[in-house]
Amino acid sequence: MKEKANISYPLFDSFKDKLKPKRSQAQMALSQVNVFSRLSWQEIKIVENAVHIRNYAPGEPVFKQGDPGSGMYVIIEGCVGIFLDIPQQTPKQLSKLGDGDFFGEIALLDESPRTAAATAIENSTIIGFYRPDLMDILKTKPALGGKILLALSEVLAVRLRSTNGELVKVSRKLEAFLESGANE
Amino acid sequence: MSNTDSITIAPQSVRLFFQSLFKTLVYFILLVLLLAGAYKAFPLVVDALFLIVIAAILTAVFNPVVDRLESSGLRRLYGTLLMFGGIFGMVALGVIKGIPTLLNEVGRIKDIIQENSATESLNSMMGDINSRIAEYIPGFQLDLDLISSLSAQFFSQLGSVLAGALDTLATIIFILIITMFFLVDGKRMTKQLIGMVPNRYFEMSLNITYKTKQQLTNFLRGQLLAALGVGIQSFIGLSLLNWIFDTNISGVLLISTIAGMANMIPFVGPFMGMVPAIIVSLFNNLGDPIAASHFYYILHIIGMFLIVQMIDNNIISPIVVSGSMEMHPLTVILLILVGSQIGVLGMFLAVPAWGISKVVIQEVYQGLKGHHLI
Repeated sequence: MKEKANISYPLFDSFKDKLKPKRSQAQMALSQVNVFSRLSWQEIKIVENAVHIRNYAPGEPVFKQGDPGSGMYVIIEGCVGIFLDIPQQTPKQLSKLGDGDFFGEIALLDESPRTAAATAIENSTIIGFYRPDLMDILKTKPALGGKILLALSEVLAVRLRSTNGELVKVSRKLEAFLESGANE
Repeated sequence: MSNTDSITIAPQSVRLFFQSLFKTLVYFILLVLLLAGAYKAFPLVVDALFLIVIAAILTAVFNPVVDRLESSGLRRLYGTLLMFGGIFGMVALGVIKGIPTLLNEVGRIKDIIQENSATESLNSMMGDINSRIAEYIPGFQLDLDLISSLSAQFFSQLGSVLAGALDTLATIIFILIITMFFLVDGKRMTKQLIGMVPNRYFEMSLNITYKTKQQLTNFLRGQLLAALGVGIQSFIGLSLLNWIFDTNISGVLLISTIAGMANMIPFVGPFMGMVPAIIVSLFNNLGDPIAASHFYYILHIIGMFLIVQMIDNNIISPIVVSGSMEMHPLTVILLILVGSQIGVLGMFLAVPAWGISKVVIQEVYQGLKGHHLI
């Protein structure tokens, strides 16, 4: 069998590279988040201009439990732990998030206090997308703002459905437990 | 993610142009601040800050308009240029047509008051008014000299304020240019400034900035709309008085403008708007027996302004002005007294400036409290 010649064309490759759209790390990270996944690259670029990119040192809190929620975070690089503060005990780690993970998206809609704390575990670069940024987009680019809100609503709907399912399971277990208790 | 992906798309040339202009502006301001510090030229720093603060306030007023234009698909730069085209057009029209007329009117009334020849007519008019008042309040006498000197002082100060505004046309244009930059690139500037805040206070600072901006915009827009409403109503009311009762009130536009602006000062403002109309009516109708028989139309003017205030208090203000302006009458009086130390302009600005400060303090306090920092 004749072997395929591995010939490179530097000029052609250079043109190909130039024509290939360049995406920033922030754009790539944002495109992976379900809230922005349906946006075009042009729209993601508008979101990128609105967001804030922050660097956190290990052990530095992103937000504390009880702080008023004001936005969501997307991890570009690094690692963030979600902790539950329990009085007079060491904080309990609920989860560990890495590159491309996101958290706190419900705070875009609701200013209620954060139910857990987020702390950087290692040097992390994180995108912060806050309610003022969303409100700004809604004011100046209503169509884009609408898309983001719709995606947020879908996230909420999925979670509500899942919570309902869990609730049904728990209530069935409770009923079974009460019945067994009555029989005994 | 690999580092090769971290190449960003090059900014557009217009943005680059404004970015470099913004940087130049920042460097210029920094240079001014340094020079001022070096030569102990404190007034220069104050002047530069004053310009920036005024431009920031104007930005808060115009931002919703530019946002609206941007939301309709127009680029922010073009929206800003379109709005400023309109403003410059109106200012040019005002400078060409309005201000000389207003200055003439102010000068004319000042001359009438200061003219010695008018003293006899003034005396007879005051005698007439005093005798009318004595019918209702026995023993009460208005002091002619006091009224004359107060009126002359009022119009003289007003004239100097207007003339001063013309003299500082260059300053006004400079403020408008800064405002334009703030409108086009203000969001980026705010983002860069907030970006300097340490992580610990970042969320809080962002929230406080946003809420304060919202409150300020609402407050200023409300105040301006209410002032515009009162100005238009006063203009219509005074024109109607001239038309129906032949009250001979000249400078209706000037008086309406004063009434509108004065309306920003609670309690005292409506009275301040009424006074120039009464003074003009008195001096324009000197020696007119018909006007004298109608008590120089003072009651008509008071009645008209009361109607304007009723419409403003019950219809316009509840819709456009936010509740943040609620102040104790004593606070207002004290603020006006403090403002009067600077002059007429100080009296006008003291209450709105306090209103703005109140909004900022409230938002900062609530933000700090929400984040358990106090």
